Amino acid sequence: MLPLRTFKRQETHWWVSCLIFPTAIGLSLAICALLLKLQGKPAIQGIGLLFQGAFGSHWAIQDCLLKAIPIFLCSLGVAVAFRLQVWNIGAEGQFALGAIGATAAALQWPGLPGYALLPLMAAAALAAGGLWGFIPAVLKLRMRANEIIVTLMLNYIAILLLDYLVYGRWKDPQSFGFPMTAIFSDNAIVGRIGDTGLHWGLALCVATGGVLWLFFRFTRLGYELKASGENLGAARYAGLPYERLLILVMLLSGGLAGWAGFLEASATINRLQPSIMVGYGYTAIVVAWLARLNPLSIGLASFLLAALRVGVENLQLDLQVPAAFGGIMEGLILLTILAGSFFADYGWQWRRRSA
Amino acid sequence: MNGSPPVVRLDGITKRYGAVAANQDIRLDIHSGRIHALLGENGAGKSTLMGILSGMVQPDSGRILIDGQPRAFRSAREAITAGIGMVYQHFMLVKAMTVAENVFLGYPGVLLNRRRMEETVAQLARRFGLDIDPAARIGTLSMGERQRVEILKLLFRDSRVLIFDEPTSVLTPRESEHLFDALRRMAAQGKAIVFITHKLDEVMALSDDITILRRGSVIEGLATTAVTSKHELARRMVGRDVLLQVQREPYEPRQLVLRVDGLSNAGLRDIRLEVRQGEILGVVGVAGNGQKPLVEAICGLTAPAAGVVRILGEDWHRFYTHRRWDGNLAYIPEDRRGLATCRNLDLVDNFLLTTRQGFCRGPWLLRRRATRKALRLIRDFAIQPADTRISARQLSGGNLQKLVLAREFFRRPRLIVAEQPTQGLDIAAIQDVWNLLLNARKAAGILLITGDLTEALMLADRLAVMSAGRIVDTFPVDDADKLDRIGLMMAGSAA
Ligand SMILES: Nc1ncnc2c1ncn2[C@@H]1O[C@H](COP(=O)(O)OP(=O)(O)OP(=O)(O)O)[C@@H](O)[C@H]1O
Ligand SMILES: [Mg+2]
Repeated sequence: MLPLRTFKRQETHWWVSCLIFPTAIGLSLAICALLLKLQGKPAIQGIGLLFQGAFGSHWAIQDCLLKAIPIFLCSLGVAVAFRLQVWNIGAEGQFALGAIGATAAALQWPGLPGYALLPLMAAAALAAGGLWGFIPAVLKLRMRANEIIVTLMLNYIAILLLDYLVYGRWKDPQSFGFPMTAIFSDNAIVGRIGDTGLHWGLALCVATGGVLWLFFRFTRLGYELKASGENLGAARYAGLPYERLLILVMLLSGGLAGWAGFLEASATINRLQPSIMVGYGYTAIVVAWLARLNPLSIGLASFLLAALRVGVENLQLDLQVPAAFGGIMEGLILLTILAGSFFADYGWQWRRRSA
Repeated sequence: MNGSPPVVRLDGITKRYGAVAANQDIRLDIHSGRIHALLGENGAGKSTLMGILSGMVQPDSGRILIDGQPRAFRSAREAITAGIGMVYQHFMLVKAMTVAENVFLGYPGVLLNRRRMEETVAQLARRFGLDIDPAARIGTLSMGERQRVEILKLLFRDSRVLIFDEPTSVLTPRESEHLFDALRRMAAQGKAIVFITHKLDEVMALSDDITILRRGSVIEGLATTAVTSKHELARRMVGRDVLLQVQREPYEPRQLVLRVDGLSNAGLRDIRLEVRQGEILGVVGVAGNGQKPLVEAICGLTAPAAGVVRILGEDWHRFYTHRRWDGNLAYIPEDRRGLATCRNLDLVDNFLLTTRQGFCRGPWLLRRRATRKALRLIRDFAIQPADTRISARQLSGGNLQKLVLAREFFRRPRLIVAEQPTQGLDIAAIQDVWNLLLNARKAAGILLITGDLTEALMLADRLAVMSAGRIVDTFPVDDADKLDRIGLMMAGSAA
């Protein structure tokens, strides 16, 4: 038996919670350094490159912010569903549908002025992403299908649908056979903020985050969601409309991820192509957990995980580490923080020999 | 009172939660071979004190001495190793496993084969008079039987001190008797028993020693033989006379508020009953004879499969598709923690659970107004601590029930379904609740489901006796003939 014994803490000391986050990040960085070493790369320098890549210049930070935008929106959506204890892990597919919806609008009415076309694209993305959330909600209510499995499988369907469109119907004739749509008309591209490299999607994020915060805090519907998520039994007792809440939550969740897809297609790559899918929808789940579903913390955690992506790209260029390295780190951070939260709830002490 | 040194001595135990002193400098001796009753009003600190003794809660200061040796428990496991175990109200058993497997679960050591395990458990059960089938699965057992499994778990780990927190609240009268026999046998074999209860009859019948807590402090410790009656005990506990008598004015039934005709559901057969405004219909019977499905059907948790349920003149489906929050049906469930409240939400949020429609303007929730109302109700109902920002899980069992009652009465219901409304309340609070119900009777019809016959006789105008999913008979409480035969009816024989 281990010479350690654990016991459940009564109260969590605030300093324990404060220590866990940096310690967990430090630990996962150390493990990464070790992994680099095993590949015969310079470990310390590698970690340095990671930080430099993410925070070393204002270009880098801007890049982090840009990548944080889709992660933030997807994660807000995921968090809304998680609040009701609905385990939507389909942000990836809902993101793809959002991109498809926005692209459909952009290709259909390229000539419309921006003030009409952009809202139209946003609405289409919202509807398409929402639809992808609606399907698992209905299946859960009508056929008691587990939402984890349905949302996960719908991710693959969404990606195949996207492939089908860009390889087929929507392929740009001038793309030399590459699977991509034609570049969007200028009116269909979300503009830059001043002469920074940031686009107005950032403002959308801030607004959405604020609205959701208000929603959960001050509206009746927000209250009903919170109460139902806390205790389903009480929700039934109090006559809370669980079925309607579930559908609403999944529509919202899917719609928000859909917006992320819209912004990526419109502002970042200006067209639809398979490389739009880089796993933001999965990162969003990690972010939502790390942030404990709190919108403000989701902002911070999105930025950090975006920074990780940017940093790893730098590492990849300079040290030729494989692209999967970023995914490994993401997983490590989640695991170390989850493991760390054990120490918030439990203490430990050495077992005495005699006992 | 007893010459031998105590097994457990609590020495100056203090525990504060914010401004509330749950336990204050508590000194208490527990002797083996004796049954020790712990009394006190709701929120007096009984559960907290026993939580400390059983390692679930850490005291701020004070010592626990076991056989004269100071010990500190950081977890329930450490307390169990030291021979101290607690039977909780919410049983912690694995439903899919058998009795024997549950008893052995988590026991460090080699796994035995099934037969040996079952034999050991059967032997232990016989020794303490805890009648149970070691091979039965937990899921198939009654509450009383599950409690026996919890006790066996502790006995199997050689606990010398067994603590029970309101053990009879989940039991039928027969099961309670059975438990008391077992407790006496355990005491006779040298175990120390501590039990928390609000039922003074039990204290008088069972205990050797009594300790009374008030607002976190011990105000009295005495031998049961020194108490002459339960009225005296009540007076010592509350500090004034509590009679547990109510003034029941003659009732004049008015319009029909609930009509159930031929209702059949899982566990229910052909139920017929009527409740009129101005009367209390008491549903009595041994727990598990259909009371729960009946309440669930009336309160909208399960749809009736066959038959008619009309609430306030409306058909069940219509009623539950357009329900108004006030002037309507209020349901006070037995399961306060699981159904009536959300443990992690604060008291305002819990107050809003069924009253939210009364506190909104358009999509907005008027939380500030709700907070003011909630605070007023908390004062009116003397809920302790009087703070709306704490979460429901921080309230003592009795105070949580008062919160639910305050909320449900605030809705000015015209039909009240009250399920074991005074379970877990101290006598002063029981008196209050009884008066509240009788008062509410003026404007509402009340369906009172209770396992406590005294309560039913005290409050109800008519009684309906349930057995095996049916209503055996319904009669006015002053029908002495039928009252005499009520025990037989509960056992299922027709009227
Ligand atoms: N975890 C907690 N956080 C804050 N306050 C608490 C907590 N647990 C108990 N209290 C407070 O401590 C006091 C004593 O509570 P306790 O549960 O020990 O009462 P009790 O005597 O068991 O009452 P009851 O008869 O109603 O069960 C109460 O005022 C309660 O609100
Ligand atoms: Mg208690």
